[in-house]
Amino acid sequence: MGAERCAVVGVGQTKHDSCRADVSIAGLVREAADRALAAAGMVMDDIDAVVIGKAPDMLEGVMMPELWLAEALAAAGKPVFRVHTAGSVGGSTAIVAAQHVMAGIHKRVLTIAFEKQSDGNAMWALSVPMPFSMPVHAGAGGYFAPHVRSYIKRSGAPTHIGAMVAVKDRTNACANPYAHLHEPDWTLERAMESPMLWDPIRFVETCPSSDGAAALVLVSEDVADSMDVPKAWVHATSMRSEPTMFAGRNQVSPQAGRDCAADLWRKAGITDPASQVDVAEIYVPFSWFEPMWLENLGFAELNTGWRMVEDGVTDLRGGSLPINPSGGVLSSNPIGASGMLRFGEAAMQVMGVAGDHQVDGARTAVGHAYGGGSQFFAMWVVGAEKL
Amino acid sequence: MTDASDTDPGYALAPDGSFTAPLTLAYPYSRTVGPTYGRFLTGLAEGRFVATVGSDGRVFVPPAEFDPTTGQALDQWVDIAAEGTVESWSWQPEPSDAQPLDHPFAWVLVRLDGADTALLHVCDVPDPGAMETGMRVRARFVDGADPGMGALECFEPIGDDAGNDGGDRS
Repeated sequence: MGAERCAVVGVGQTKHDSCRADVSIAGLVREAADRALAAAGMVMDDIDAVVIGKAPDMLEGVMMPELWLAEALAAAGKPVFRVHTAGSVGGSTAIVAAQHVMAGIHKRVLTIAFEKQSDGNAMWALSVPMPFSMPVHAGAGGYFAPHVRSYIKRSGAPTHIGAMVAVKDRTNACANPYAHLHEPDWTLERAMESPMLWDPIRFVETCPSSDGAAALVLVSEDVADSMDVPKAWVHATSMRSEPTMFAGRNQVSPQAGRDCAADLWRKAGITDPASQVDVAEIYVPFSWFEPMWLENLGFAELNTGWRMVEDGVTDLRGGSLPINPSGGVLSSNPIGASGMLRFGEAAMQVMGVAGDHQVDGARTAVGHAYGGGSQFFAMWVVGAEKL
Repeated sequence: MTDASDTDPGYALAPDGSFTAPLTLAYPYSRTVGPTYGRFLTGLAEGRFVATVGSDGRVFVPPAEFDPTTGQALDQWVDIAAEGTVESWSWQPEPSDAQPLDHPFAWVLVRLDGADTALLHVCDVPDPGAMETGMRVRARFVDGADPGMGALECFEPIGDDAGNDGGDRS
């Protein structure tokens, strides 16, 4: 039985910053929701259901925010769903919202994801000394640095690749008015001198801590067809998971990510991702994850993703497969929202509304998110045309 | 094996063979209150109450940031009296350290004059005999307090008939 078609008809996001002291969490969430609704030419009353996601409650010490955000989300009298999948949650939340439409249950769904990192400390909040478990006590960078080191060793990538990605993403972010970091002056030479934070990850190769939210309005085909706004048709979605730790696990290119991508391409009818996808927004919190995910997604052969970076294939200007034209997670990281930003930015590209970071002629785009210990994956393909 | 220390993780083996380990979570957080609650908390430090007006005209105190019925962002403000009527109450005979007063008091739902919703706080009276639903109370503020709920010390009865003659709590 086939699924109903679903389209994104509104993308909204906040201005991301290290501390949005001017708004409560409710106000932050509403800022993104209002922008998504405005883009869709809709108001809250038009919405049938609300799907909300954020990274673990421990990050800000909030307890089930979906309960006290009901007013801000105008959810009185409507179903509200909360999605949890760690850092990938923004992506999986968008997918759950899309599934409500594709299943024919709701016609107009508002989905929102957020993080207010300034209210907590995401780096250490998850380093809890769990009984009978080996403590990590490393923070996100300390956890992922060995994976990056292993990638470099396996692939033989030169050590400047991480800095190249960082300069690209920080430069791209300058064309995105909502990005947290606007740092136009990075050069490869300067980036290589950036302090080593978690060897081999330099300071500039690391995402910031951001407050921010993202929102999408997803509608059924009949509703979309009746609307005179730019649309991104959801061609395929996929999610996969795997355990955090097990002997023989491939943390550099997790099986769940490879399976998720294979399923995504099959559903979207894509046989050669690197040539058939015009632009991708992928979850790169540390710059080395760009070549790692290029391989995991199947855009590059094993151990060759770094060559795409070095050859400029992933550049916004002149690259054949621009990666993270928005500046990516490396320039804005409101964790729970970061995945939805990837999904929303991919939609904006095929809607042709990405402004100064628009990829000319983008017709097919990928949004990607991962979370936990590289164990949760969420992806979608969106297109300018119906599939 | 019940002693917890840095070197002993404090695992406990019970006579029935069940095994448990301690897990203590303690972590500092902050909360950005935003413009709506911020204005309310700042008002308390100035000895006054402010409220938002809902889309149906209801006056909310504490203020609602978004209308609970329609979700509309609320930005119409009104000043509210620091006096009101007790809608309900309950006696607290043995206060804990974290509670607003260090001697027995009444929890009260106070509907301030001009408001359509009740505020939960405490009323300073010597005994439960001094409490009555429908009695009139006024706010007692802390002079020179920083913005925050701590600026509102408690409510106290208005007039002699409430059994409290001017704050004597002996």
